[in-house]
Amino acid sequence: MKFREYVIYRLVLAVFVIIGVVTVVFFISRVIPSDPAALWVGAHPTPEAIEKAREQLHLNDPLLKQFGYYLWSLLHGDLGVSIRTHNPVAADLKSAFTATFELILVAEFLAIIVGIPLGVYSAVKKDSWLDNLSRIFAISGVSLPAFWFGIVLQLIFFKHLGLLPLAGRVGTVVMLEHPLHVITGFYLLDSLITGNFPVFVDALKHLILPAVTLAMYPVGLITRQVRSMMIEVLNENYIRTAWAYGLPPKKIYFKYALKNAIAPALITVGLSFAYTLIGAFLVELIFNWPGLGRYAAYAIMSMDYPAVLGVTIIAATAYVFINLIVDLIQVRLDPRIKL
Amino acid sequence: MRKELSLFILAIAIFGVVASGCISGENTSTTQTQTQTQSTMASSTSKSEKTTTNVVIYGYGSEMITLDPSTEFSNSIVVLANVYECLVKYTPEGLKPWLATSWESNENGTVWTFHLRKGVKFHTGNTMTAEDVKWSVERTIRMGLGPAFIWDPVKKIEVVDNYTIKFYLKYPANLPLIASSAYGAYIMDSKYLSKIGDDKAIAKWFNEGHDAGTGPYMIDKYNPKTEIVLKKFNDYWGGWSDDQFDLAVIKIVPDASLREQMVTSGEIQITRDLPLDDIPKLKDNPNVKVDKTPSYQELYAFFNTKKKPLNNKLVRQALSYAVPYKDIVDYVLHGYGEVAKGPIPKGMLGYFEDMKTYTYNIDKAKQLLAQAGYPNGGFKLVLTYTQGDQAEAKVAEIIKAEWKKLGIDVEIRPMNWEQQWALAKSDPTKAQDILMMYWWPTYPTPYDFLFNMFHCEKEINFNLCYYCNDEFDKAIDEAVTLEGINPEKAADLYKKAEQMLIEDAPAIFFYNPDDVYVYHKSITGFKDNPGYPQVVFFYELHKA
Repeated sequence: MKFREYVIYRLVLAVFVIIGVVTVVFFISRVIPSDPAALWVGAHPTPEAIEKAREQLHLNDPLLKQFGYYLWSLLHGDLGVSIRTHNPVAADLKSAFTATFELILVAEFLAIIVGIPLGVYSAVKKDSWLDNLSRIFAISGVSLPAFWFGIVLQLIFFKHLGLLPLAGRVGTVVMLEHPLHVITGFYLLDSLITGNFPVFVDALKHLILPAVTLAMYPVGLITRQVRSMMIEVLNENYIRTAWAYGLPPKKIYFKYALKNAIAPALITVGLSFAYTLIGAFLVELIFNWPGLGRYAAYAIMSMDYPAVLGVTIIAATAYVFINLIVDLIQVRLDPRIKL
Repeated sequence: MRKELSLFILAIAIFGVVASGCISGENTSTTQTQTQTQSTMASSTSKSEKTTTNVVIYGYGSEMITLDPSTEFSNSIVVLANVYECLVKYTPEGLKPWLATSWESNENGTVWTFHLRKGVKFHTGNTMTAEDVKWSVERTIRMGLGPAFIWDPVKKIEVVDNYTIKFYLKYPANLPLIASSAYGAYIMDSKYLSKIGDDKAIAKWFNEGHDAGTGPYMIDKYNPKTEIVLKKFNDYWGGWSDDQFDLAVIKIVPDASLREQMVTSGEIQITRDLPLDDIPKLKDNPNVKVDKTPSYQELYAFFNTKKKPLNNKLVRQALSYAVPYKDIVDYVLHGYGEVAKGPIPKGMLGYFEDMKTYTYNIDKAKQLLAQAGYPNGGFKLVLTYTQGDQAEAKVAEIIKAEWKKLGIDVEIRPMNWEQQWALAKSDPTKAQDILMMYWWPTYPTPYDFLFNMFHCEKEINFNLCYYCNDEFDKAIDEAVTLEGINPEKAADLYKKAEQMLIEDAPAIFFYNPDDVYVYHKSITGFKDNPGYPQVVFFYELHKA
């Protein structure tokens, strides 16, 4: 299949996947016994208030009709109103999503720039002390609980060394003195664009600990996968040929070998990206990061079904797109893989 | 491939150089923010913030919902009570003048006249007059949401002159107390708001982060999920002194341990709902002070009086004797609370120190059970509580263990609140046997508790014990009409009603938890006001 056709084919499939997921989640969340009208009116409502809410939220209509209402508003780009916060879900999600996305981007970036070279050199210097150390590092990254690690980092870098801030996306006082004009929702980007350097630096400092905490899991995965694939590839005949030709080692490792070894690692990055979008809940809680994980957790705990659906759509879309991108990158890197 | 990679690395390198240049260049403000977070506020005030950032930060655990003073019935009063004002202010010592300087009523309490404070300005610049009061109350009644029911007694509102307003009531009521309510009694700028559009348009305007109040602070930035910044209103009628705060921030921090870290390091100056286990340690910490005040909350367990065996009064009384009240307060609340003396919390009208209530007495319990025909228990009860509430979970476990001694099996079911409530409101014969719940008043009147939870209801709302007693209903209905004009007689009637409740035992009255606030030594002047739950009145705070 040609490239363009393949992309369109994947995008069409994506739409079906997302619709399927939304349908399942809608019916499950509405079938679970709960009373959205009670959640809407808050504490100590009168029966009249609850009845009024029930009308407003179309809760007395048959379930299929409610689903119809939902799909209709979805087609108009309206994700509904959160029953818990009374805010439009789309607005809630935008701020939560950009907060988490910024964090994950930085975390995955750290994981890649540390994991890939580490994986390569472990494979090259197999069974040396560097290799053993990096294997321990990789296992710890994958097995140590993120929330424990986050708290330990806070203890070391905030409490004892006083080098980095405790929590939050940016300091309250810094934001008061240098108000940030938010454009995209990514503080690093917005502060650079508007030339607001104090906020840029402060936001960067606030990003370090949570990003490192979040990066532990993917860095472990990437290191191990790159290492094991590299070991396989390095034994191939064409690599031996390259050595015979006298090509410089760096070129052999990074140009010839890594290209063929990197595919599984990339798939992992792609999947972990989408997973951390919501799995980052505990890290977000510890570092008081107003992100998607926190939002999703509250939505689920209170059965706030428009919010749950909104989060589901985001998660499904993220998975589908990131997987598509990862597949396409693989093809670019390794011509053996056919579309 | 190679080209792309090297371009990418070049971009990173430039990024890195620029960033490091910035980090070293902007040393002043960042190191100051750093030292501020780890050292004490006292030493940092001199070298850190520029003169504009004289700020106090309240670390709060939940997000804000709406900012409409007419319909807000949730935790946004944390913002509203600083930005708006009511006619009257409730304090545990009595009602104090706020936007009204004095008030009086006719003999039977059906016409109330309020005299308003002169020279009060709204944040919009307009002056407050009686017209604003009339408009605000009428809008709340008209919108009919949330706390609107508090104005039920009002028949007509008459503006006598700019600073005098008369309320004509359908039946006698304690209107000054109602007018002091934390919910639904705020006075807004009618001139400014009526120009915006209809009620819905005004509500939308509010929720965008605007306000039209008279309070000492105005809303500067509104991020309901992360922080709300309030800035000082220079023309506030109460005036300002140098050691008060120019800016007040409500910072949303859901994690309690994080809030604890932040207040001990001075990053925030005041917070509440910290893990009770840590309070003794915090008491010894020289950087913070701990403030404990009785709240107007109470924990109840409602018996399903329509289902066997709880339809038998003797069984309910027996179970009420089988609760280790004092131990529960010591273990669950670490002593931060009081054993309840009936359905009304301590400090409120309707609380009687000498009320005879149940005490822990297993023998008496066994005796009553035998009298009821269950000498060795032999039945099972289903108990539900709100999932996630640690205190309720612990209380439920204690009850289960105690009642096992009586031969009663308790099945504990944590459920999400809406589900629990829906179950109890359904057919009583199919509902749970016991439901645990907190109650707190919309404004501090015993009627709020007694009416909502125990008044006979045809369609069940909060009377989750399905209690129906005509004499009780008559007593409290009369008491509430006398609250404003004859508080002593009202108290007597309430006492009579409460004694009926204790005798019939439709619910277990566990405890009144304390409000425990922890604040940094750099601020002073804090006093908790249980009539405005979770509100910190920033105007009262001063630099230490």
